[in-house]
Amino acid sequence: MNLIKNEKLKEELYEFKLENGVKVYYFPKKGFTKKYAIFTTNYGSVDNKFVPINENEAVSLPEGIAHFLEHKLFEEPEENIFQKFAIQGAYVNAFTNFNQTSYLFYSTDNFYENLKLLVKFVQNPYFTDENVEKEKGIISQEIQMYLDNPSWVVFFNCLRAMYHNNPVRVDIAGSVESINEITKEDLETAYRTFYNPKNMVLFIVGDLDKDMIESSLKESEKFYENNLEEIVRIEEIEPSEIKQKQIEANMLTSKPLFYIGFKDTDIGLSGKELVKKDIITNIILDMIFSESSELYNELYSEGVIDANFGAYFTGHKTYGHSLIVGQSDDPQLVYSRIKEMLKKSNDYITIDSFERIKKKEIGHFLMGFNSIEFIANNLTELYFQDFLLIDYLDVLNEIKFEDIESRFKKHFKEDMSVISIIWPS
Amino acid sequence: MPLKTEKEEFGEGFRSTKIYLDKFKSNYLAFYIIRPLDREEVTMNALLPMVLNRGTKNYSNKILLERKLEELYGANLSISSSKRGERQVIKFSIEWADEKYTNEESFDNEVFEMFKEVIYDPYLIDGEFSHKYVEGEKNNLANKINNKINDKRSYAINRCIEEMCKSESFSIYKYGYLQDLEAIDAKGLAEHYENILMTSQIEIIYTGNKKELSLDKIIPKKYLNRENINYVEREEILSKPYVKNQIVEKLDVTQGKLVLGFRTKIAYEMDLYPALLLANELLGGGPNSKLFKDVREKHSLAYYVTSNIIKHKSIMILDAGIEFQNYNKISELINENIKELQEGKFSDEDLSIAKRALRTSSESIVDSAKLISEFYFGNFITNESRNLEELLDEIDNVSREEVVEAINTLNLDTIYFMRGTGEEENNESNKE
Repeated sequence: MNLIKNEKLKEELYEFKLENGVKVYYFPKKGFTKKYAIFTTNYGSVDNKFVPINENEAVSLPEGIAHFLEHKLFEEPEENIFQKFAIQGAYVNAFTNFNQTSYLFYSTDNFYENLKLLVKFVQNPYFTDENVEKEKGIISQEIQMYLDNPSWVVFFNCLRAMYHNNPVRVDIAGSVESINEITKEDLETAYRTFYNPKNMVLFIVGDLDKDMIESSLKESEKFYENNLEEIVRIEEIEPSEIKQKQIEANMLTSKPLFYIGFKDTDIGLSGKELVKKDIITNIILDMIFSESSELYNELYSEGVIDANFGAYFTGHKTYGHSLIVGQSDDPQLVYSRIKEMLKKSNDYITIDSFERIKKKEIGHFLMGFNSIEFIANNLTELYFQDFLLIDYLDVLNEIKFEDIESRFKKHFKEDMSVISIIWPS
Repeated sequence: MPLKTEKEEFGEGFRSTKIYLDKFKSNYLAFYIIRPLDREEVTMNALLPMVLNRGTKNYSNKILLERKLEELYGANLSISSSKRGERQVIKFSIEWADEKYTNEESFDNEVFEMFKEVIYDPYLIDGEFSHKYVEGEKNNLANKINNKINDKRSYAINRCIEEMCKSESFSIYKYGYLQDLEAIDAKGLAEHYENILMTSQIEIIYTGNKKELSLDKIIPKKYLNRENINYVEREEILSKPYVKNQIVEKLDVTQGKLVLGFRTKIAYEMDLYPALLLANELLGGGPNSKLFKDVREKHSLAYYVTSNIIKHKSIMILDAGIEFQNYNKISELINENIKELQEGKFSDEDLSIAKRALRTSSESIVDSAKLISEFYFGNFITNESRNLEELLDEIDNVSREEVVEAINTLNLDTIYFMRGTGEEENNESNKE
């Protein structure tokens, strides 16, 4: 068992590997009542095309399959998984995003029993034609719920405007049509390939005993005949240009909603470089768009935007984008003011604002460690980018004003920007 | 693990609670002003936090205020208004990183000074709020009120409550009313604010690392010795519906929203209240509930179907997102499930699962400074002496007969259904 310490944070992290290949991390939080475990496969909605394990030909599965699979893993021949966790006083849940599928539980008691159950149910699928059919009704309702949510639609429309082929433009849950095509065999193919120990990680956070964790996991780990080394994911070729400048739709909403996106061209990074780019870009967005910025306050005082305004960057190995989000009677005006800002960036990108925002980021990062969910979820996400959360503060401290200036020039280009608008119907 | 608290009363209408915990990397201070939920002032109270957020005496605009917070390692200042039963609560809170981790000298005093200024020294011009700020925020509040349609699920729940509690102040919308906005001006709003600072019950709660902190430090002398405090009365509990309502609203939506509002007769002071919480848990509390297992897992008719107790009003709200044409089928299933519970058709295991679930979620409160603060505040406004452990013990001791008794008090009051604009009325039969 490896021990990784961070003196500034006054936190530590244990790392070890199960015999079957699953990586495990334990992050102790003394004095916390809640105990949390999250078991994740590096398989999300963007991984639709791949070469299945022990096969040579790439396949393309229906959109929404990773999310469908997440729902189906809760199925067992006899027992009800929700009930088993509930008997042991645990709350169990799961989620799927673009890049990962996670299964998690928290409990205040019976942690080790629940941990065994988590590992067991994720490693033992049970698909039948009937239970696959049954899930289609439930997921259709979930998809329709999102279709009535204007904030969700305006977000995906923005991604569709930026990307030509990258599957990040496809709704995570797929569509009612695509999920109706999903078969038991599709689920088995996806499961065999992506739920392989090498592709998975388990994070545990709470006031626990590391040896008990290790022995519980040894009891419940499952061995696979085919441990694959590397999954072949077929990446779509994505032109660096945006797909379309503007995308609009009408929905039941009180005010026009907008997403302005800047598509990143500096992609292909991983590990520390990717995380550093992520932090730098988010600092820039805060310098320009947060409540302490001139631009925000000008637009706010003029009544062009309201408190529902914000900006953030999301970066991954194959894509990246800054999103500026809000509601306004005149989204085009917001957009044109942002374009003007790009021309006189020296007014906005100043050392003074950089130092302030950096200090704020440090404080917010520290406060994040009050939440065991924050720790576990961020550890997981960054792990798949080959980075350990515990080193985050050091990277943040390393960032210099020059990094900010050069990234700003590279990323915030007018011709790489799009606008998505939802008008009230 | 019981929490150690220090309580202090100083001056009429003030109370403070300090909870010392060293497991957090930050400290959290909350200041609650309690008002009656009243049509006369609801819109002003909803507007106040928005105006106060624009600036203080020394930080006269948002830029100065936000920059100061950034320098305090991104201290999170929040000012909000919310509805708690038939009360409206204006809450100020600030959370800041502890100096143990920022490796700097303590900046606690700066935080307290700033917090005090935000509450007691707003940006005023000749005793009035800034006209510009007030007019700007009136627009923003109007948008907020209009925005309720954006989240269809909470819109539907709110519409059900509005119809159900028509004659009670609980039906008042938390952000107020467009019709009342126009009459508000910078002068009247400042007077109203001064009045509520002088006459409201105030609760201050600190959660965090142990500090030399006297909470009356954040209250200016002038406001310490107050008289004529307006103590808000407990809500009335209606046991029977006045009129049974059924409301259908047609909107441009893809998914139907069904909301059922029930009266329960069981006040939170009553011995039967823990049994009501369990009955709710068994019916629609989570993935092990009857509705989840039947409507979702067995019949795959919904993604979400849940029930919730509104504590202060002893109301149960049940809601589901469904296909329009499944309205009758789902209503029947819901009735059947309630009937089964009323007949005691649930296993002892189901009951013990429900008890465990309530215990797990309650015990987790102590891992969040904000939730701890909200828990103590909740107890304060309901005059409850039950601490967390006592409540959990009571829940553990509930018998199945008590659960059956609790579920038998349910009285359906209002059905709200949101359906699409385009659909045919008579498609009930021809869709599978």
